[in-house]
Amino acid sequence: MRSASNNSLARRLIHLLILRPLVKLIFGVNFIGREHTENLDQFIIISNHNSHLDIFLLFSLLRWDQLNTTHAVAEKTYFSRSKIVFRLVNYLFCPIWITRGKPELEEDPFADLKAVIERGHNLVIFPEGTRGRPGELQRFKSGIGRLMVQYPQLPIVPVFLSGPEKVLPKSSSLPLPFCNLVIIGPPQLCHGQHREITRQLQETILTLSNSEPARRHKRRIRNLSQPKSIAFIGVDGSGKSTISRIAAARLSLKQRVCLISDRLEFFQNGESLMIQPLVTEKIREAIGSYAKKVKSLKLYKIPKLTELLLRNNLQYQVKRWYSPDLIVMDGSPLLNMAAWANLYRDHKLNEETLTKAMRILSGQGRMFTRNDPIFKQLPELQLLQRIGQSRIASPDAVIFIDVSPAVANERILCRGEQRQVHETEEKLSRLREGYLKVCEVIHDALNVPVRIVDGHGSLDEVAEESLEYLQKWLLNGEITIG
Amino acid sequence: MRYDLSAITLLVVFIALSGFNIYRMLSRGKQLWSSNLVYSWIFFLGFVVAEFYSFSVGIWVLAVLSFIALREYFSLIDIRLQDRWGILGAYLSIPFMFYFIQIDWYGMFIISIPVYAFLTAPLLVTLGGRETAGTVFSVGAIDFGLFLFVYCIGHVGYLLLYETWMPVLLVLSIGICDLTTRILHNRMISGWLGLGGRLFIPMLFTILLSRLLSPWTGIPSTHSVILGAMLPILAVMGQHTGDFLKADLGVEEDFLFAGKGQILDNLKSFFFTAPVMFHYIRYFLK
Repeated sequence: MRSASNNSLARRLIHLLILRPLVKLIFGVNFIGREHTENLDQFIIISNHNSHLDIFLLFSLLRWDQLNTTHAVAEKTYFSRSKIVFRLVNYLFCPIWITRGKPELEEDPFADLKAVIERGHNLVIFPEGTRGRPGELQRFKSGIGRLMVQYPQLPIVPVFLSGPEKVLPKSSSLPLPFCNLVIIGPPQLCHGQHREITRQLQETILTLSNSEPARRHKRRIRNLSQPKSIAFIGVDGSGKSTISRIAAARLSLKQRVCLISDRLEFFQNGESLMIQPLVTEKIREAIGSYAKKVKSLKLYKIPKLTELLLRNNLQYQVKRWYSPDLIVMDGSPLLNMAAWANLYRDHKLNEETLTKAMRILSGQGRMFTRNDPIFKQLPELQLLQRIGQSRIASPDAVIFIDVSPAVANERILCRGEQRQVHETEEKLSRLREGYLKVCEVIHDALNVPVRIVDGHGSLDEVAEESLEYLQKWLLNGEITIG
Repeated sequence: MRYDLSAITLLVVFIALSGFNIYRMLSRGKQLWSSNLVYSWIFFLGFVVAEFYSFSVGIWVLAVLSFIALREYFSLIDIRLQDRWGILGAYLSIPFMFYFIQIDWYGMFIISIPVYAFLTAPLLVTLGGRETAGTVFSVGAIDFGLFLFVYCIGHVGYLLLYETWMPVLLVLSIGICDLTTRILHNRMISGWLGLGGRLFIPMLFTILLSRLLSPWTGIPSTHSVILGAMLPILAVMGQHTGDFLKADLGVEEDFLFAGKGQILDNLKSFFFTAPVMFHYIRYFLK
């Protein structure tokens, strides 16, 4: 304490003109919440302790007139190892020297500290006692609590220092330039037992260390698992687009969900998000709306097929660019193609043909030779293979919304839109048969879980039933057929 | 020392920037794109010193900027304790490279980082300790930071050696690009429209600017038009890359300050523009 007042001007100038600019230039310093200390006359600063730089950072927080009236609390034996260091520290920070270990009985261990506080001076205390492992907060020693019990009116300024643990960690003797952050919390007044106070202060510093500005980059790679895809299929008018949208929104409460319907949508926390557009999506939208307007089945075929292929391509792109956890699809390109094949052929396709066709479409076509009868029966397959479009993803789970053709027809009527070419009762019933057959095939041959949901109820009921199944499936990958 | 119109203009721009920055400091407010002004000011400080006092001093102003940027990057990445020697090597390669710019030794400048620093830093990392886990990522992160913040930014210094107005043109063009990006972002214009805006709105101005400044930069008019068209495209590439880095490093868009992504945010447009503009000029004009 003897140095507290002598040479005060020189000391302040050294702090202000040499130490502060040097620290600022070599180790960048940023203050957050500096306004908390501005109106305080007397205070105690507590902070986490990671390196010898800490005290410089805390002193650069002080006002010009506070530089003389602020004392660090330091351990005597550690700094006494070198005479120069001891005198330097003594001169720059006029510390209150304390010694570790049990105090002698009649002696008050806080006598020096109390004297300083009573003179109206400030203290800088590191309640951890010593520098710990870099970046970890140690348990606070009880000293701070014991001291503060006696001064309930004295505000404590909690400070968290982020950066010194990189600049000069305990195990290293080489200081390196890194940016430092001094986060100052609102001043605290302490009441209660000393244990309580210590714990409370430790909590405060811990909260500051978890605050947004203190957060640091950690090297970890998010587990990029392949997103699962769910397909809602059904004939037109079964309400599958509405239901898939409801399902996507509901499923997105727990994961990031992408919905591929007439429009591409991305859901998170039950809300639709803005996303960067994809070129494929724009083309698909245009072709899709064109396909809806054509007059005959023959003209419908090519645009619809293109739309389905683009939809498949879109699925890959969505995986690549948005990495959702779940893709909900309104219709599945693979299943739609197979079911439509049923509509376009006069003779009914048997299961074996359908299995083969789906294997070829989903990229397992190498096991069939060119002369296989399947290519005679469905020449489109060969074409698709030739243009390199025989890698159509099969969904991981399928929900078939079953509606009788009559009801579907009625619903389409209610929509009041222009009818698409295939939306007649006879064709819808054939389409439905096709879908049913496809469902059976993918369940038996491709081992995809399929759930057939009765679609005659209200939309909410149907959505609820499918969601229930999906959530069960997401939990344990259960395979059932409805 | 020349005191012609170009030098006076440079001084006027510098004084105006200083005025803005003083106003910003005094008002303590967060004006639109205020932080960009700070880093533009540091660039201009270097240019003005080089123009009116000495190139050898001006270039070291840029070295300090490069150091601050590298320091921020190293503060953001997660390093292991034993990478400290590698990081020391990385810091030391800043004077190493800028010295070669100062003495105009092009051959050594161009290989200083990609050969010598890139070889030294990994060696120092491996000499720092015995823990092998994480070496690949540490070496990659250190070398990458060196490349972006020292090597790429260093090209501005070499442009300054050629002609003061070349880097001035670069900094002004980047300013236009960043301002446009900021405005479009604030207006919530994104997607294709936003991208088009970020590319073509500044392009009008940069072409005009680089054509107008062509007598002072010494770039012939055809080349200055091509450069003006090139800069916004490269700037957008840099911004895109920088945004990904920022996101990975956990930088919050609305919580930027020096040491927490602000410098990276302001220099990201230079990553591509500075080296490419330099090599364009060197190939066609020198």
